[in-house]
Amino acid sequence: MTQTEHLLTRLPTEMGGLDGGPIQRVEHEYAPWEKRCHALANVLDIHKIISTEEKRRGVEALGSELVEKLTYYQRWIVAFVNILFEKELLTPEELARKMDEVAARHEPSGG
Amino acid sequence: MPKPFPNIVHAEGEEPLFKPGDQVKISARYPMGHYRVPNYIRGKRGRVESVIEPRAVNNEDEGFGRNAGLKRYYYRIIFPLTELWPGYAGPKTDELRIEVFETWLEGS
Amino acid sequence: MSSDAHAHAPIPDAGDAMPSYYEIMETAVRELLVEKNAIGAGEIRQMLEVMDTRTPALGSQIVARAWVDPAFRARLLANGRATLEELGIDFFENTQLTVLENTDKVHNIVVCTLCSCYPREILGLPPDWYKLKPYRARTVKEPRAVLAEFGTLIPDDVEIRVSDSTSMVRFLVLPQRPQNTENWSEEQLASLVTRDAMIGVVRAAIPEKTEKSR
Repeated sequence: MTQTEHLLTRLPTEMGGLDGGPIQRVEHEYAPWEKRCHALANVLDIHKIISTEEKRRGVEALGSELVEKLTYYQRWIVAFVNILFEKELLTPEELARKMDEVAARHEPSGG
Repeated sequence: MPKPFPNIVHAEGEEPLFKPGDQVKISARYPMGHYRVPNYIRGKRGRVESVIEPRAVNNEDEGFGRNAGLKRYYYRIIFPLTELWPGYAGPKTDELRIEVFETWLEGS
Repeated sequence: MSSDAHAHAPIPDAGDAMPSYYEIMETAVRELLVEKNAIGAGEIRQMLEVMDTRTPALGSQIVARAWVDPAFRARLLANGRATLEELGIDFFENTQLTVLENTDKVHNIVVCTLCSCYPREILGLPPDWYKLKPYRARTVKEPRAVLAEFGTLIPDDVEIRVSDSTSMVRFLVLPQRPQNTENWSEEQLASLVTRDAMIGVVRAAIPEKTEKSR
């Protein structure tokens, strides 16, 4: 098997049997937005807008660089966005405009 | 227990293909896109611990939005760790258990 | 500016600090989905309330009850979800729950090598280490070494069973009841059961310095 085929047939999220270092007993307090992201996943699944399995596949499809560089819930929200685009429930322009609007709520006032 | 009516033709997948204790082999298939069978059990031999009820849709297809279609069984399969990892250092009685969809199983 | 969507949004956290790019993304997606009537305005908030009631304390109570009530234990082992639904613990969709009993001869440990499957309806959200590479890579390959890193030594005559979750079934380990707890109340017993014992990386044990209060 060539190296590039390996990238396709072993998903970047699959870990079983790989070399791993010592287990760091890390735990962090979940940020409110992370909990909201998890709640969003559950609600999307209930509505059959994005099932749990579609979410898993969406995270896998981010590819190895993003899977490595994004944190757990960052992967989820980006995967959701990609799937919502694919399903034509959202467009890149709508999202970009809304994100700018949300960001503007937090900008310091005055000039 | 009433006897089932004879002459009923079952839809595909209604009867489990395997039962507890059966020896099975995981198919040596290497799909891209999405899978729920880890690479480390591909082509390995194990035995059926249990048949999971009820039948369900193939979760590999669900990953792409399919939530209808023929339902088949998942099975909980037992693998000795010595089967999965050459040179496994622990006791031979150590085992792994994992659920596998019927389309990945072959009689062994 | 959609003031309706803003009014329905949960209260932003961290005062006026600029949220991260991904938090902004999450907020934007949620508000757009509500504006499009894809999801209801209060659904996320309601789901957060449900999630807040699922914590390891819930699992500890279930284990303690199984320790004191053999009939409950038997039902739990036969069908985890059905038994817990009788207690009002509801589950999502087609999720199943299998309770794995530790004995003198068998020690169970649970992992998800493909993603992060975890019995969230019982234990809440998993610890980071459960979702990171070392645990997910090594538990299926060298469970005894992984257990040793958690301070858990399992004798060779005890069988290790690693469960790798891949389907709709979730797993909860039922640890062995510690010795010398014969007269303990269910509440006292529950205090011995940690989240990590229900994942299977440690045993349930009486903490060394604790004095049992009567």
